[in-house]
Amino acid sequence: MLGFILDCVYTSFLRYWLKWLIRHATGTCELQRVCSGYSPGATRTTKAEYALRSSKSRVLRSALEARKDNLKECVGQIMKEKDIKPEKDPQFKENLHTCLLQITGYSSLFKSVEELRKEVFSSEKVEHEAMLLKLWDLLMPTVKLESRITKQWGDIGFQGDDPKTDFRGMGMLGLINLVFFSEHYTEEARQVLSHANHPKLGYSYAIVGINLTEMAYSLMKSGALKPHFYNTALGTPELQHFHQLYCYLAYEFDKFWVAEEPESIMQFNQYREKFHNMVKADLEDPGVSLTLTVHS
Amino acid sequence: MGLLTILKKMKQKERELRLLMLGLDNAGKTTILKKFNGEDVSTISPTLGFNIKTLEHKGFKLNIWDVGGQKSLRSYWRNYFESTDGLVWVVDSADRLRLEDCRKELSALLLEERLAGATLLVFANKQDLPGALTKEAIKEALALDDNKSHHWCIIGCSAVTGENLLTGVDWLLEDIAARIFTAD
Repeated sequence: MLGFILDCVYTSFLRYWLKWLIRHATGTCELQRVCSGYSPGATRTTKAEYALRSSKSRVLRSALEARKDNLKECVGQIMKEKDIKPEKDPQFKENLHTCLLQITGYSSLFKSVEELRKEVFSSEKVEHEAMLLKLWDLLMPTVKLESRITKQWGDIGFQGDDPKTDFRGMGMLGLINLVFFSEHYTEEARQVLSHANHPKLGYSYAIVGINLTEMAYSLMKSGALKPHFYNTALGTPELQHFHQLYCYLAYEFDKFWVAEEPESIMQFNQYREKFHNMVKADLEDPGVSLTLTVHS
Repeated sequence: MGLLTILKKMKQKERELRLLMLGLDNAGKTTILKKFNGEDVSTISPTLGFNIKTLEHKGFKLNIWDVGGQKSLRSYWRNYFESTDGLVWVVDSADRLRLEDCRKELSALLLEERLAGATLLVFANKQDLPGALTKEAIKEALALDDNKSHHWCIIGCSAVTGENLLTGVDWLLEDIAARIFTAD
């Protein structure tokens, strides 16, 4: 309670006075200090985001909602509002622009992710079907699929004879992630699949993959992935960055599962939660970068 | 009456029930559980293992176990039978092709000794889908009338809209309560 009151007092009064004092002492505003005082990445962008969001000026706050092609203009307006002279701080313009690309890029990336999630897998769509068959070919290059509806789907970890119902909540996002991992990290994906088909320590490869897509999606939605994307995409993050993150989760979860040796697949949700907490803890570190590194 | 006595009386009233929710994969078990608990049901993935939720309803404390339905998990179902008060069998009413599979699994469950005392609620789920069979058709297909061993009831419902979920659970609780709490 006391902490809450202190926090309120700080954000509504103290912060403002403190900023006023520093501004007059150093001749720079908070945004300038953030952009020059920290190297590019999560620390700088997170602080810039905070400064913009809690600003009293509408010009600064609205920059967070701006479209990508308006960002240069926004930076100009902010510099005018804050009376920042380019000749005194030549780096500022570029630095703030990069921060804004990252901040607004995160929300637009989430929109694209959400669109793919809402796209229902449909057997009537040729491209959906083709993608599903491609997943099979990438994972099982030496085995031919006998028919479209077959028990063989179980060999790559779908629940029944027709994978389409397994995509339910995650839609095409689930399938695209599975295919992306198999296509860009074919060897690793096959290695993970072979672990998943272990007679004792095995798990359902595709279903776990869809569950991990859900994990990536919920981390994205809550904003927890911001530091990761601010560190790894020095500009606007794109869908492929999201798929890359999925690859990291799929590869790391497999390592984690194999190391933990769970009693049976029935323990999946406990281990999923444990893994989820580990990832969330990693994301607390401002230097975080969840990228798949392959050890040869 | 002292405070302590009142507290004791309240404690006795705290009635705890164990419900086990089973059915084929993609029947909608997790969606029913989440919808009943007022959670978002738009982002559900297939269940590996199980989910458990404890919630209060009508003065009961319900422990609801939702166990994954895919074939490879069904052999684990038996691990969850112990002291089950109510069995909720969930059917995808639009999945005509697997109704026979569904009947077989259910009739095998009803022979289980450890489920002998449990009340059976069948949810004919997905009534919101255009191709869904009615609850009468499902009753027929599952040969529920042949079941003489358990108290049972079939309810048509939709986990997505929430339609009839309360009706089903309320019937189940009433039946269980009549069996086990009226004695004292």
